[in-house]
Amino acid sequence: MSSDVLVDLSAFQHADTMFPSGAVSFSFGLEALVNAGIVAGPDDLAGFLTAQLRGRWADLDRPALWHAHRAGADLDAVGRLDRLVEAQTLGAEQRLGSTRMGAAFLGVHAKLGSSLAETYRRRIAEGRGCGHLPVMQGMVWQALSFPHERALLMSAHGLLTGMLGTAIRLSVAGYVESQRLHAALLPVVAEILETPICAPNEMRGFCPQIEIASMIHETDDARLFMN
Amino acid sequence: MIEKTASKAEVTGQPRPAARIGIGGPVGSGKTALIERLIPALGARGIELAVVTNDLVTKEDALRLQRSGLIDPERVVAVEAGACPHTIIREDPSLNIAAADGLAARFPTAHAILIESGGDNLASTFSLDLVDYWLFVIDTGGGDDIPRKKGPGIVRCDLLVINKIDVGPIVGADVGLMLKEATEVRNGRPVILTDCKSGFGIDRVIERLVHDVLFVDA
Repeated sequence: MSSDVLVDLSAFQHADTMFPSGAVSFSFGLEALVNAGIVAGPDDLAGFLTAQLRGRWADLDRPALWHAHRAGADLDAVGRLDRLVEAQTLGAEQRLGSTRMGAAFLGVHAKLGSSLAETYRRRIAEGRGCGHLPVMQGMVWQALSFPHERALLMSAHGLLTGMLGTAIRLSVAGYVESQRLHAALLPVVAEILETPICAPNEMRGFCPQIEIASMIHETDDARLFMN
Repeated sequence: MIEKTASKAEVTGQPRPAARIGIGGPVGSGKTALIERLIPALGARGIELAVVTNDLVTKEDALRLQRSGLIDPERVVAVEAGACPHTIIREDPSLNIAAADGLAARFPTAHAILIESGGDNLASTFSLDLVDYWLFVIDTGGGDDIPRKKGPGIVRCDLLVINKIDVGPIVGADVGLMLKEATEVRNGRPVILTDCKSGFGIDRVIERLVHDVLFVDA
């Protein structure tokens, strides 16, 4: 079996929703929008997913992952990216979601034997890192020899499947409709991937409706999800 | 289970880490009520606790414990289940592990961390990556046929608790039959009858926990 095949198979393993990441507890702001009646069906959901991809993933999560992938084992550089993502993520629950998923991701990789993940966990415990998920993914996936193009695909796939799984549980899409939406959004991902990666100091996210909904969610008593 | 925890302490020579004890079971079976009984009863024996709750929709259980006056509110944390209570205790327990790790770091003298699952069905089971030992709580109000349905939660848990035995006669559930059939489907592994409202059976649960997983002189 060629090494390329093994890398592909390994990428499927790490991008699969079965890989533990805690993602099942997060709605990425969708629960609050559903509770407010703003997202009520597949069309609204398509708008939400597109906004997440274009408004956050394209110029914040994607470059954060890409630059962290380049930084690799330079943990000071990784830490600087981590702080930039923290600074660019407005909502408290959005920051919490990203860092909790990042901590879960690191915890699993540490148990699987990644010394890099274990070292960065200690830095977080010492207050020298936040652990935002895309930064942690770039750092760890580089060490696992996933090329940066593949790592970006894994990130986009994980975000899409995570959000669509949430949408099904919130009853705003059925299991067939969610697959249609997934397929319809793949060209959006491909289009974003054609655009240049911005520099670290230009990373930004802008999803105002989602950010406001996320802030409202902070005080919502009836909640299935953490954000 | 016993060997795992004991050997860890022997190898490291360090104080034994807090045992992690899962408490699962259907909605309304009495999981939180059991914890409310366990906290003071274990506390009276000098056993310190912390608690992770997995509420399904609200933070009701976490708030109930935090406001109970039975435990320092800082020792209770909630983890949202994303509508999948079984997923975060079995397929992907990473957030619960992180929450328990956080409590263990903040309260290093705790002897045990209780992890209460959100109410679920009879197929709910805990990952042994998350807990060292787990209880499953059912109640007589759910019907006396529950044990013989052989749900994995009933069959595989370390300790089965049949709660609300006071309710059984009122709803026509044969508590004796439940105990007999539960013991049969579990091949004789422990089953304890409780009435958490009055406190009946709690001492037996405590004895079991001390013997099976806490390993303290209490």
